[in-house]
Amino acid sequence: MIALVIDDSRAMRLILTRITGQLGFEVWQAGNGREALDLLEASDVVPAVALVDWNMPEMNGLEFVTAARSNPKYRTMTMMMVTTEGEQSQIVRALAAGAHEYVIKPFTPDAIEEKLALLGVSTNGATA
Amino acid sequence: MTGNAPTDEDLFAIAEQVWSSYLDLEGTSPLIQMPRTKPSSDVSASVSVTGAWRGHVVVSCTMPAARSAAAALLGIELDEATEDDVTDALGELANIIGGNVKSLMPEPSALSLPVVLVNGSPGWPSASEVCQLNGEWLGESVAVQVLESTNEKGA
Repeated sequence: MIALVIDDSRAMRLILTRITGQLGFEVWQAGNGREALDLLEASDVVPAVALVDWNMPEMNGLEFVTAARSNPKYRTMTMMMVTTEGEQSQIVRALAAGAHEYVIKPFTPDAIEEKLALLGVSTNGATA
Repeated sequence: MTGNAPTDEDLFAIAEQVWSSYLDLEGTSPLIQMPRTKPSSDVSASVSVTGAWRGHVVVSCTMPAARSAAAALLGIELDEATEDDVTDALGELANIIGGNVKSLMPEPSALSLPVVLVNGSPGWPSASEVCQLNGEWLGESVAVQVLESTNEKGA
């Protein structure tokens, strides 16, 4: 099972890679939404979940979620925003665009694990 | 400024959360709040907020503190931390703290990508201080400032 971590900060990508890796995911990394779409397009495999930062250069997280949601190939991919954008209005925008869940930075490993479990994305169970 | 301006204590609470989540996982080296003084700073990272509220959130610290932050965030040894690592780590700290400060401000507003300066300090002549955190971490100076633009078009 694959988790796609999308964040322009290498430090944050490593933190999320560590957390999801410990949960048993194979982890792909991308530094912005464009890179993530390129990764997805180059593969026949669709990750079970994408953890998506909001503020990134080139293509931000909201644009990535919108683009991914409009492509039927990625309809099985769960998308979770992991961002500092904590206002209610931003959460509503992300969910309306197609994100399934929302985690505000700073987060703990437990918070990520709990959200993934809530979404049914776990290496022990559900989503492929 | 409309709404309730964040205080020094609000800023410390945000920073404490960041430290306990990423920089002090064991709870053995917390950020300690210090009296207001002019902090020594080798590295500064800032994000700007535009929209209903306009201003800047600036994280600054000494190089040893910046290297410690990079090492902690990246899970590497202190002497392995490069300037790129320091830039990435401080930028992300500014992004997280800035985003949390933004959520206390009037909406709607947007957060910029972080700008990191090594051996230089940013200057915003048309900005006034809203709140400030002076801290010490691992014996080194760490400061966070929230500055509100006083210029009609933004500082």
